[in-house]
Amino acid sequence: MPAQIDHAAAASIDYDVLVVGSGVSGAIVARSLAEKGLRVLVVEAGPGDELSVADYESYLTRFYGAAAKDNNAAYEVNPNAPMPRSPDVRRLQPGHPDSTGYLIQNGPYEMDSTYTRVLGGTTMHWEGKALRMLPEDFEMRSRFGQGRDWPIGYDDLEPYYRQAEFELGVSADVADQAFYGITFPPGYEFPMHGLPKSYLDQIIARDLDGTEIQLHDTTCTLSVRPTAQARNGVPNAAYDDGLGFIPVGAVSTHQVDEGGRCQGNINCVPLCPVQAKYNARKTLAASLDTGRVDILTQTIASQVHVGADGLVSHIDYQSYGSTTSPEHVTGSLRARRYVLAANPVENARLLLASGLPGSNGLVGRNLMDHAYLLTWALLPEIAGTMRGSQCTSGIEDLRAGGFRERHAAMRVSIHNDGWAWPTGSPYTDLVELVDDANVYGAALRRGVVDRISRQLMLSFMVELMPETSNRITVDSRYIDAMGNLRPVLSYSLPEYTMDGVAASRRISRRIFQRLGAEDKTHYDPLDPGYVAYQGEGFVVRGGNHWAGTHMMGETSHDSVVDVNQRSWDHQNLYLVGPGSMPSIGTSNTTLTLAALSFKTAEHIAAELTTRPSVTIGG
Amino acid sequence: MADDSGVLEAFLTLSATLTGYSRFRLLGTGQAEPYLATTLDAVGDDALGELLSASTAVHDEAAGDERALDQGLRARILSDDKLGPVARNVIKMWFVGTWYQLPQEWRDAHASRQPDSTHVVSPASYTEGLLWPTIGANPPGAKGQGYGTWSSPPTLDLP
Repeated sequence: MPAQIDHAAAASIDYDVLVVGSGVSGAIVARSLAEKGLRVLVVEAGPGDELSVADYESYLTRFYGAAAKDNNAAYEVNPNAPMPRSPDVRRLQPGHPDSTGYLIQNGPYEMDSTYTRVLGGTTMHWEGKALRMLPEDFEMRSRFGQGRDWPIGYDDLEPYYRQAEFELGVSADVADQAFYGITFPPGYEFPMHGLPKSYLDQIIARDLDGTEIQLHDTTCTLSVRPTAQARNGVPNAAYDDGLGFIPVGAVSTHQVDEGGRCQGNINCVPLCPVQAKYNARKTLAASLDTGRVDILTQTIASQVHVGADGLVSHIDYQSYGSTTSPEHVTGSLRARRYVLAANPVENARLLLASGLPGSNGLVGRNLMDHAYLLTWALLPEIAGTMRGSQCTSGIEDLRAGGFRERHAAMRVSIHNDGWAWPTGSPYTDLVELVDDANVYGAALRRGVVDRISRQLMLSFMVELMPETSNRITVDSRYIDAMGNLRPVLSYSLPEYTMDGVAASRRISRRIFQRLGAEDKTHYDPLDPGYVAYQGEGFVVRGGNHWAGTHMMGETSHDSVVDVNQRSWDHQNLYLVGPGSMPSIGTSNTTLTLAALSFKTAEHIAAELTTRPSVTIGG
Repeated sequence: MADDSGVLEAFLTLSATLTGYSRFRLLGTGQAEPYLATTLDAVGDDALGELLSASTAVHDEAAGDERALDQGLRARILSDDKLGPVARNVIKMWFVGTWYQLPQEWRDAHASRQPDSTHVVSPASYTEGLLWPTIGANPPGAKGQGYGTWSSPPTLDLP
């Protein structure tokens, strides 16, 4: 089992690169650099004993036995490296920060987004949508006068998108994915064919395709399109000019017969039981095969030290033996380059806790996420809800166009898992049928089908522009079990986004009218995320798509990192992940951050392998 | 209460009526004994004994007449302050494998017990929930139906 070495051995090895965080960004950087001959150490704050099926299955069993099946339910409570959990989020009272959960909610809006601190990071609970951003998403300021432009464009990132689609194992068909400016090189194929549309999707498409929605000057014609997904499907023999693609199965250093195609377990979040869905452990396992990557779990990067020359000199760590005791040992790690890949909240938290807010004070600022508005209805016919992967199709037609000068764009997902997210269905439906509708026996069986198999839930993912006041800070009043400063979140939703939220609700009504579906959407003023806007109330939820706390830009005056995710202030430090993104459009962030990770790895490798004074391999 | 096998039989008879699934189907989940034990732990000998005695009497008196069985169940169990909440909990447990904490009223009147908090009986009871096959689906995270099955209409077996 080569995954682990001890800290003393690690301290004696001359690593080229130290990577903090074992999620998808860190894993890709580690693998790419190791494949180019560099020596890499990865430290992960959370547990993950080994890259084995047994370890993975223990998460599954914990999930089965959990009464509250939230998106981190599969992972044990670990006070040493805590993580936000959505059930901890409370409705805020103005002026009273809430410290119930790990993430301090400073307001004014509470946010229920989470991330996962275990080996493999948040890909251990992500859903697996693998969407490219639209070309216009990179040019928000120059095209729409909103937000910021990226210092690079779609065409610059396109080759890295292809690398990311290979690494994550994306199932999709080019014909379905070339929309609103997204282009592929001639002859390009995704590694695997797209997953079939669900029966629910087909019912929606039958009645909805062709519906026109007017958003200011933009006419949007709706159609139900299959979603690109990082989960195993049928390999495409035409991939890579006919060389084909071999899907990556279950992660194990031992031979194991698992990890085939998606079986439709409807449980992508929090955990695919058969590892058909990509998680970063697949990349970590491949990185270990190079023999040049070491991984230390339960090792918290606690302090980044910078020398008089402005370069990072070393990073302190705390290593704990058990998640049930704060006992730990400390030490320091050194390398030639340092990569923080701990997600936007933890990257910013670590820098701020180290007294490194950046020369322009931008570290932690411009935090973004997607604002989610959930709308739900009962279809007039049995749609077979609760089968498939969580989403097999969506509506892409509200993501692009001139209306973005006026309000946020949105992307719609059709949820095969029904009302699970907004109402806690099917549990809540069962409880109502039994406790309130007073049915049992055959009538209950019919009632369950009538209430659940007709469910339709549309989630509207609304974009949020960077605002310096949306930010992560630290505060010495709030520390975790290891004495580390906890992240404090200040968050509000600007009008640009709220106008998109209000438009989403209007569009959902149109869609339900067109489908003859009974609109059951309601927003409870007592729920976390409740917002009153222009006379109507909404519950706006977090999308777990944290971004923007160390944004990239053209100059050191208005950004934290450059196009290669290198810190302007500390030239041997890289801040990697969605924190570098100046805008996130209406795409789930993972595919784009994976593409950026490949770009950064390429840059670091060039830096470390082309300078004549450098000896390769340590 | 009667001997153990008699108790289990009475529990199965009541469960079959309440869930709409046959005794055979219920036994197939492997959960009858854990559910009986969970109910016993949560409500105690006295309440469980009363529930099963009432159920046996209602079934015996109905003698196969469905309307009489329905009326008897509603009159003597489902609308009974003590037995109704327990019976409803048994239904929910069969459908999703979760024991729900009894209403505060019930807990005040009949002394709350330690294992009465809301909990999943066991990881297996979650995957054996009857709700999932009722809607032609699999429990999320287990027993996947296979690649592409979701693109066809669901297979439903409605009574």
